[in-house]
Amino acid sequence: MSVWIAIVASGIVTYFTRSLPLVVTMPGRAPARLRRYLDALPTAIIAALAGAGIAVPDAQPTGGAEVLAAVVTLAVAAWRRNLLFAVIAGVAAVAALRAAGL
Amino acid sequence: MTGRRAALVEGWPIFVTAVVVGIAFGLTARQAGLSIVETSAMSVIVFAGAAQFVMVDLLRTGTPVPLIVLTVLLLNARHLLMAAAIRPFVRAASLPRRFGLAYVLTDEAFAMGIGWFRRGHRDLAYYAVFSTVLWCSWNVGTLLGAIFGAGVQDPQRFGIDFAITAVFVAIVAIGVRHRADVAVALAAALVAAALRLAGASAVAVVVAGALAPLVAFAIREEQR
Repeated sequence: MSVWIAIVASGIVTYFTRSLPLVVTMPGRAPARLRRYLDALPTAIIAALAGAGIAVPDAQPTGGAEVLAAVVTLAVAAWRRNLLFAVIAGVAAVAALRAAGL
Repeated sequence: MTGRRAALVEGWPIFVTAVVVGIAFGLTARQAGLSIVETSAMSVIVFAGAAQFVMVDLLRTGTPVPLIVLTVLLLNARHLLMAAAIRPFVRAASLPRRFGLAYVLTDEAFAMGIGWFRRGHRDLAYYAVFSTVLWCSWNVGTLLGAIFGAGVQDPQRFGIDFAITAVFVAIVAIGVRHRADVAVALAAALVAAALRLAGASAVAVVVAGALAPLVAFAIREEQR
């Protein structure tokens, strides 16, 4: 029973975080500072997800493979401006580096 | 390329990842003692990969339900920021549609959707198609893992688990427009990495994501 309570309650709080800013209409226009803050948010959150995923890929601190693979991904993305190429390069790099013992 | 087509072409590595990680989740949940129905219900009702793995672990170790829910709230509080960031692009959609788009908001859908909007597009098809297919992939994977047990044993060996992180890295690299963006991205990545290494996994992304944009203010004010 407690499993179901945990699932449903977690579902509710999760949906709350996803829906609140989308469905609540705020009156008027957001102040310039807030708009600049919100404008910088996407980059910050995505970079935070990347940084966290690189540092601790799987409950264990990185052995270095993920850091180097991230550099490869970054380089290919900056060079080709293509998401798919960059991701494939990153995945191949991490597989190779892990196989090499990092 | 239309938004719908672009979402499928650019999204497939992530869909494959979602199926594979979904299988791993289904397996983990079953090994932790959840039934097939409970496992699948969690993927349908909560639909948040990282939070679901945390939940299974907390349930397995007998953590009180209120603590589990609080952890999930902290872990998913970042959605508040993401939803706020995509709000300008969904403003024109009807309320029921916005309720639907909110339900399928994930890290991946946010990152890919913002990537589409940043390229100058304004249609919702990309975000809607990507997030819906991702939802299907995750739930199919969960069900397969829950039912068939054995599945993929060693996704790490093929680097599959790194795909999502690589997506985040690439989106930041392609999306940065000026010096302030670079500073914000570096600050966020370093703070999140430091917090996660220090064991503050639940709040790492929320705290780093919420604080790093302040760096942009410092840089812009210095330029004046």
